[in-house]
Amino acid sequence: MLLQYLSLMRQEVSLIFIAVLVLICELTVNQRYKKVVIPITLVLFGVHTILGFVPFDGGKLFGGMFATSHAQALMKSVLNVGVFIILLQSVAWLKKEVNFQKSNEFLILLFSTLTGMYFMISSGDFLMFYIGLEIASIPMAMLAAFDTFRSKSSEAGIKFLLNSALSSGILLFGISLFYAISGTIYFDDLPLYFSPVSPLFALGFIFFISGLAFKMSLVPFHLWTADVYEGSPTIVTSYFSVISKGAAAFITSILLFKVFFNQLYLWKDIIYLLSVLTMTVGNLFALRQTNIKRFLAFSSISQAGFILLGLVNVDSLGVTAIIYFILIYILSNLSAFGVVMAIANVTGKEEIKDYNGLYKTNPLLSLTMMLAMFSLAGIPPTAGFFSKFFLFTDAAKGGYYWLVFIAVLNTIISLYYYLLVVKAMFISPNEQPIERFRSDIYTRTALLITVVGIFAVGIYSPIFEYIRNIIDKF
Amino acid sequence: MSTQILIPFFITAVFLVAAGITLAYMLSPKSFNLQKQEPYECGIPTVGVTWLQFNVGYYTFALLFLIFDVETVFLFPWAVVMKQIGLVGLVEILIFFFILVLGLAYAWKKHALVWQ
Repeated sequence: MLLQYLSLMRQEVSLIFIAVLVLICELTVNQRYKKVVIPITLVLFGVHTILGFVPFDGGKLFGGMFATSHAQALMKSVLNVGVFIILLQSVAWLKKEVNFQKSNEFLILLFSTLTGMYFMISSGDFLMFYIGLEIASIPMAMLAAFDTFRSKSSEAGIKFLLNSALSSGILLFGISLFYAISGTIYFDDLPLYFSPVSPLFALGFIFFISGLAFKMSLVPFHLWTADVYEGSPTIVTSYFSVISKGAAAFITSILLFKVFFNQLYLWKDIIYLLSVLTMTVGNLFALRQTNIKRFLAFSSISQAGFILLGLVNVDSLGVTAIIYFILIYILSNLSAFGVVMAIANVTGKEEIKDYNGLYKTNPLLSLTMMLAMFSLAGIPPTAGFFSKFFLFTDAAKGGYYWLVFIAVLNTIISLYYYLLVVKAMFISPNEQPIERFRSDIYTRTALLITVVGIFAVGIYSPIFEYIRNIIDKF
Repeated sequence: MSTQILIPFFITAVFLVAAGITLAYMLSPKSFNLQKQEPYECGIPTVGVTWLQFNVGYYTFALLFLIFDVETVFLFPWAVVMKQIGLVGLVEILIFFFILVLGLAYAWKKHALVWQ
């Protein structure tokens, strides 16, 4: 009994174990040896990430509240890869004087949000889903307000908390309408009760998807994003824009795939509209940004619109394309954020015009940033091209040619502003460029992983096949 | 199709709210006096300014109290079915306890229990 629990929930259990271990270290370890905690956590989390890829059979626990399968374990592993890179990048920031006092708290909060996302992905009913959502979002507000001495950071925390409370309310209202129709909240039973035409279901679904859209910052619900992203510490911004968005996209695809699949006629229009709006508006706002963090925030909004392309046509290729896209998006966006963070840690500069002439002084960083921008825009040798290609293929397979056309147009628009950053680094002259500096070994390792990933994941096709095989069995 | 069925929903929703506000505005008797401007405080006239700053220590105490209050609520269902779930349940509740105690120890170490 207990062994069955442990084997099915092993990813959750091992993550909670690491978080508790860090908490115990915080309580017992002497101030002098506190430096050791971060590398040990890194090693443990690395092992946890690698073990997550070991295949295992799925199953259900707690009377169906918790359901897991190989596909869900894969989604968690993709998130793990991202969190591992973020942990590597955060070391330099955590070792600063102001942050070192609370470095362990940062790790604990980070793991708590990830635990919430795990439970969200493996939820078997709406109750577990909602609990996971809240476990994920409350520590996230604390992370956003982590720079207590900066008023913008507190503002970001409050804004995130209020917005997530609002969206949770809307989401819960949607769930309550589903319950009103069916009298059950279990994912397996729900589809049986959704009759072909049910206005109450349509109403509930609109509320539900609005709540999720808040979390994913899709366009009519995106207004909190830029302020929260700008106010939070850069490492938390990168966490928001990749991990939290990725988890929300995963859970949306699981729900549409498992629970709402027989209501396709209804939600395909909604997803279509959200996708077009998100891509376009995100792009148009990103064009005008001068702060690099705000710029990346809006670019990540528009990337979320591309994720939705894989959802309009509900089939296994779509889900595969989404997981593949998010894996590559994690690598490329973390690469960009890694460079931003490395520069902000040393100089504190965050404007795009500060990057003028960066190539002269820091060629390697500039090249990494260039690769990240190319991958985000989707230029062929990088992985970003392949991930977008598969999403477009899937949408075209479903006959959504107009959607693909709009997406391609948006890719071209996005190319303009991604290349603006590249132009700033390589072409624009600057009398006082950022000084030459050398970042620490952790940052360099993280950037190396992302750069290798950007090339390897795209060119090495077995990765796509591997994901596809797992999803087909889902 | 079913999206069109939603239109009456929205019209009714907007209409109900608008009608409620308009009717209340038109029908309600209006009277003004100074007492209405004051913040409600048990019917007694307020003393001093209401925009006081509270010591933040109250919040930490209230939060800590709340955490352990909720913990006891979680213990009750366990106690009811303790015999049926046996050893597994005991181990689980011990893990639950352990993590909670860690939380208390954390608060203690960070001097949240000292009144400043």
